[in-house]
Amino acid sequence: MAEYVGIDLGTTLSGLAYLKPDGNPEIVPNADGERLTPSVVFFDSHEDVKLVGSAARDGGEPDRTIFQIKRHMDDPEHLIEIDGKKWTPAEISALILSKLKRDCSKICGDITEVVITVPANFNELARKSTIAAAEMAGMKVKRLVNEPTAAAVYYAHSQGVKGRILVYDLGGGTLDTTILDVEGESIRILTSEGARHLGGSNFDDLLLEAYADQYRKQTGAVLYSDERHRRRVLQATEDAKKMLSKLQRVNDTVANDQNSGIARIDLTRDGFEKLVRNMLTRTVFLVEQALDSAKLKPSDIDHVVLVGGSTRIPKVKSILEKMFGKTPKSCGNVDECVALGAALFAKKSARIQEVCNASYGTLAMVYNAKTKEEKLMNSIVIPKNSVIPCSKTQVYQTSEDNERVIEVDITQGEDEDAKFVDVIGRITLDVPPNRPKGCEVAVTFSYDENQRVRALVVDKQSGRSKEVAVTYKGAGVLSDEELKRRSQHLRAMRIE
Amino acid sequence: MFKILKTLSKSLGGSKPAAAPAPAAKPGSLLDKVNKGAPVAAAKPPPSPKTPEELCGITGKMPKEEIRAQLKLLFRRYNRTASSLDAKLRHEAETMLDAIVQVREKHFGEI
Repeated sequence: MAEYVGIDLGTTLSGLAYLKPDGNPEIVPNADGERLTPSVVFFDSHEDVKLVGSAARDGGEPDRTIFQIKRHMDDPEHLIEIDGKKWTPAEISALILSKLKRDCSKICGDITEVVITVPANFNELARKSTIAAAEMAGMKVKRLVNEPTAAAVYYAHSQGVKGRILVYDLGGGTLDTTILDVEGESIRILTSEGARHLGGSNFDDLLLEAYADQYRKQTGAVLYSDERHRRRVLQATEDAKKMLSKLQRVNDTVANDQNSGIARIDLTRDGFEKLVRNMLTRTVFLVEQALDSAKLKPSDIDHVVLVGGSTRIPKVKSILEKMFGKTPKSCGNVDECVALGAALFAKKSARIQEVCNASYGTLAMVYNAKTKEEKLMNSIVIPKNSVIPCSKTQVYQTSEDNERVIEVDITQGEDEDAKFVDVIGRITLDVPPNRPKGCEVAVTFSYDENQRVRALVVDKQSGRSKEVAVTYKGAGVLSDEELKRRSQHLRAMRIE
Repeated sequence: MFKILKTLSKSLGGSKPAAAPAPAAKPGSLLDKVNKGAPVAAAKPPPSPKTPEELCGITGKMPKEEIRAQLKLLFRRYNRTASSLDAKLRHEAETMLDAIVQVREKHFGEI
């Protein structure tokens, strides 16, 4: 049995690693002989089989092929209908995890418990969906770990470095930046910042637009009119992007499927960098945000570590070099280090101190003594970057006489302005009648190692209380019973 | 509804609101209740498009450090909103993030 297993469930690629007896992690190839498995699922219409990986990505029908499901893990209403059955993002992810489990266990032994990586800024629902996906695939999640944390664990292990490290993780779908301190075997995370929907696939989309523009100019026709052809051109743009990381100029030819002629596409690295400059500037903002969160300057960082396939873009390296005054180091194979780090994390988690990735609080009317004005604000109970697990309490007052019901909205976000935070739950507590305003109410938030939050509200006068874990409602959110039923169904499926 | 007992001093130094259109409240939230009481604006002709500076609340006389701080605040705010489940909010966030990058490039140069 493989005791310490880590899985990188990525937007575009997924990988599984295990810890060998000598203490070093190793990637386990899938049954197709690939070290990484494309996170793509194809539902065949002829046979009752689900293809996962390269076979799913390279062939099949677009209507029956699911790409980048990870981007929807936080959407409670996202459902994909195939042959009359509605699939949740967690179920699609479970198919990918099942392929990894089934294929890899033939090499490294039975896999029952795993550490799975998630983007640092994955919210509550996305984390919960990831755990559900693993359970459906027949694996217990020992811990979720943030992707840049896993990468840093691998970097520290393989390079033997110590000091303050900034991890810049630009993957297929997300950007994460984490700052951490490494001292021997001990790792202390200081902060993580993330940008969803900012990754290599956004660059591919921009290149696709450029291809379509060029095609229209040269032939007067549209480059693609259906999803199948759009996918083919998108694959060509991705290949061109990769070549531009090695060459200054790339030539390509494209045609549509209407016999409108062939267009010659001439791409330069300089032109590509201009195309993605806006996106790369956003990544700089995010790095600065991480430094600000940790109250650090660029000169306080000892090592800048690159993770994720998109860090192969030369401009990424040059931007960071200019910012920090030192050459960023690649974390070995930038596509594999997250899975490798996850396997290490499975063994070393006790020596790794993590922090809360977001602030949690409640909405409250705040009285300003100077202006004598009241304003609705986000009142933070657990600030971002608190060491986890943690539990914090704040005391509030009721504002009206004879308040019968106390409602506490649970917020996620740092902004004081209530309009710019997410309300992720609500606790409603009945309290006794005929009480004056000003009764004290204690609100406690607890945060566990998997970055999941619970809230407790206590009416101090009556002693009444209510505790809830944040729950979500929506067509795509499975109940425990439904999860069990679908798990059994999924385990009987043919997944190749 | 509550009044804060202990965090009053912190909230006095509150951040400036963005000049950009604010995201709508989530249904059922306290904020939603507050907003429901607000008067509905009369129909007006569509305003002329705002410049990136106007969207970011940047004025000509602002010192560089103030511009930098405002851009950081707005980036933090709209980077978060960019992953909202509400397509309208995501679109607004994208517009703002583009404006933030443009203002940065104009005042501090390209990366």
